[in-house]
Amino acid sequence: MMIKVMKETPLIVAEDKCHDPYLRCAFYGAAQTVMGVSGSCTLAHSPQGCYLLAERAFEWQNEDYTKTEILCTKLCEDEIVFGGENILTRTILDASSLKNPIMFVLSACGPEIVGDNISAVCENVSDKVHFRLLPIECAGFRGTQYDGIDIALDSILKNFALDKSKKRINSVCIIAPHANANPTWMADLTWVKNVLFEIGVDVITTLTHRTSLNEIADISAAEKSIVLSHDAGQKAATYLAKEFDVEQICHNVPLPIGLTNTRRWLTELGKTFNARHVVENLIPKGENMVVDQCRRKWIELYSISRLSTAIVADATVGIPLVRFITEDLELIPELVYLRSSKNVAGAIIENELQQLDLKPKVVYHTDVYQTRKSLVEIEPNIVIGSNIEKHAIEGLNTHYIFQLISPIQRFRMINREYFGYTGILNLLESIQNEVWDKYRSKETRYKARW
Amino acid sequence: MKNERVVFHGTLKQLFGKVERGDMIPKLQASHAPPCKFWTAFMVINGIRHTVPVIHGPTGCTYSVASAYKLRGCEYRGTPLEPTTCTSLEETNIIYGGEGKLLQAIKEADRKYHPDLIAVLSCCCSGIIGDDVETIARKSEADINAKVIAIRSEGFGGDFRSGFEDAFKAIIDLMEPPTKKMEKTINILGARIGPTYTEWVDDLDEIRRLVYAIGGKINAIIAGGCTVQQIRKAREVELNASWCYDWGQKIGQLIEEKFGVPYSNTGQPYGLKATEEWIMGVAQPLGLKNKAEQVIHNETRKVMDDVNCMRQALSGKTAIIEITEFPGPIRALSLARMAEEFGAYPIIVNIHPYTIKERMPSIKFLLEQGQNPEIILTKGLFSLGTFRSSRDTEEELESIASNYDNAIYLGNPERYPNIPVVNLTTRTGYPHYGYRGIKNMANLFRSAIKHSSRSRSKLYKRVLYG
Repeated sequence: MMIKVMKETPLIVAEDKCHDPYLRCAFYGAAQTVMGVSGSCTLAHSPQGCYLLAERAFEWQNEDYTKTEILCTKLCEDEIVFGGENILTRTILDASSLKNPIMFVLSACGPEIVGDNISAVCENVSDKVHFRLLPIECAGFRGTQYDGIDIALDSILKNFALDKSKKRINSVCIIAPHANANPTWMADLTWVKNVLFEIGVDVITTLTHRTSLNEIADISAAEKSIVLSHDAGQKAATYLAKEFDVEQICHNVPLPIGLTNTRRWLTELGKTFNARHVVENLIPKGENMVVDQCRRKWIELYSISRLSTAIVADATVGIPLVRFITEDLELIPELVYLRSSKNVAGAIIENELQQLDLKPKVVYHTDVYQTRKSLVEIEPNIVIGSNIEKHAIEGLNTHYIFQLISPIQRFRMINREYFGYTGILNLLESIQNEVWDKYRSKETRYKARW
Repeated sequence: MKNERVVFHGTLKQLFGKVERGDMIPKLQASHAPPCKFWTAFMVINGIRHTVPVIHGPTGCTYSVASAYKLRGCEYRGTPLEPTTCTSLEETNIIYGGEGKLLQAIKEADRKYHPDLIAVLSCCCSGIIGDDVETIARKSEADINAKVIAIRSEGFGGDFRSGFEDAFKAIIDLMEPPTKKMEKTINILGARIGPTYTEWVDDLDEIRRLVYAIGGKINAIIAGGCTVQQIRKAREVELNASWCYDWGQKIGQLIEEKFGVPYSNTGQPYGLKATEEWIMGVAQPLGLKNKAEQVIHNETRKVMDDVNCMRQALSGKTAIIEITEFPGPIRALSLARMAEEFGAYPIIVNIHPYTIKERMPSIKFLLEQGQNPEIILTKGLFSLGTFRSSRDTEEELESIASNYDNAIYLGNPERYPNIPVVNLTTRTGYPHYGYRGIKNMANLFRSAIKHSSRSRSKLYKRVLYG
């Protein structure tokens, strides 16, 4: 594991061999991505364990099980010794009665090491089935789930994006909304789409969430692209720029979490699409709504102002949180532990820390051990993280754990955005509930008489 | 029901015979996928305290089992967060081998976490490239404090049963020769703490209560939250008993063969008879028969109202049992026995032939015990895709239920045949085992009978079946 610690000192690089990871593998990331294609069927060319990863990916995309299928070739020792191409052929043909428009064939570690040629199999059977077939080599050893998202996006674009010479005025495509550790990230996507609608911009394609194959085919007609993640999707944006002249926007600023980040992000949109007047209206309206709401409901800073804080998150949520908690909540970030190690994320956060005059300990590609060790060393008053950190702070003098990052062991029926103005209120609500829950009486001091 | 929807209608013995001959294996490769060997091996190891699994593979396998079992254990089984580590195998390691990395990872795990035990689990990658995990495990022990075991648990290497069995075998190797005898003491075998959601600690708690009530003691619940020290001393007990004989049987018999510690071969304690058998199976070899008889007498008296309720609910009825997916196939068979005990004629619906195949030794044991319920398998069970299968079997179940005048359904609220529905999926129904189980299940039966004419949630039905 490459751990880059940024402080005043130069980067420290440590080589660990024993990891307790936060992230799943490339196979999972690819599965997350293909599940976002409407009505798709995913065939895991793998043993049965990987099928369970595909099921988790299905949940992450909030897919509808009446419309989406997940199948598995259930590879055993025989297929590893003699190859699994026959069983893959058979499984695809077995599924020929399905009505899905597309089947993604994802290969896992086993078949890739033994050299199963999934592309050849798909080509051979393509005329015997009515759905389209897209093989994607995304074995777990190819990297993290973020790498898997990039691999799948690459395959999807190279196979389905058509070169449309005519650009649609004021249009965008949105990339990697699902590489976001807000457990209900779909709300962030919805917020972005609503904002784009208000400033008169068409979203041609979302890569991927409830995306049809036609939308993917049309992607080159987009004028601009927006990557909604600091963890994945950059490669797809670069590809689109190079192949189809789709210019990437908003890529050097943190995503819109908190007042300043939202203002900056909206301003850039306004500039790009010549819609300054709309944005100049949206920003004060949104900010006033937040202020009004906080004045009426009250914003709880009494308990948290100037407390030392650790952020343990993906880069997508973690980076913008730095400014939000510093500027809007008066917290002091002491640790910023990010799950990914993308260069683009590094540049953005470095810039942010400089601007905010902060010097927290920053670690990329953290694992649970690194996190726990630093939490033990520093014992921050507050940890913003996930269910994992909730358990990792056991025994420490950490007062609050704000669970904002997936995995969170809470069922959320309503999607709640972190982006934008309502996003600020959603974050405040979670934080304030945790603050009040923390000091609930655990026992009663005397018994009531009734 | 129309005959064309029935794929099999006969006894458990007949189905077992067909599966044994390979007649019932579905043609669709993609139907029915339980976890792979790696997942199940991890489940067992996860139940030993202060153990660090070092998974020799990529991060996907690692985070997935940690998220499914470790975190669930933290949330619902009161276990602290302990590490689940891996070597994060990458493409370079696949080409050049990962043994060196594994050796370093084991040493690092010892240094970082100070565990009692390090369990090396191989994955598909390390299995195929031929990394010798056993040798590396042995080699590493010279330089570290923890004991190291290795389990060849490549996902493709066997069915999910083999993961359990190989992990239990590795645990047996940790057992040291006895230096004394722990009198009136047993081990409970076959448990896994914080693993699949078909298992609940409430059942373990009931067993523990009964063992102590008859004057017995428990050394270890293997591997349901036991320590390495308890495993080391496991051969000093007088007897082994199983928590779930499906998983306990194999390890019990192995310990008996290898070390001569007797094993009480009894079924799951569902209902009065099976509970009595379970208690006496432990009490007699320990010389606690009299105390046990007294406990049985007292406990039975306390639940007589509940027993009568169950008799009333089941007597003369056809009990249609459909819990093979959840809470599990062996529980379905135990429930069938209980239903019979209380006067019903049990029919188990849709127990997947794969399930039978994966549990051959346990099913064989049940047949030898005289359990041979009627089984119906329908076409929907073999449909491709979760939704199709769920929708088809729902219709088929309704059709089956309509064939019987006086039937009761023992299953889950995803079904609503036009007969009383006993919801066996609620947490409030646990433990199912022992006398507390009788009390809990009687409450479920009471509610099912009392509210049998109430209509189904239209919302839920639309959610489930569109």
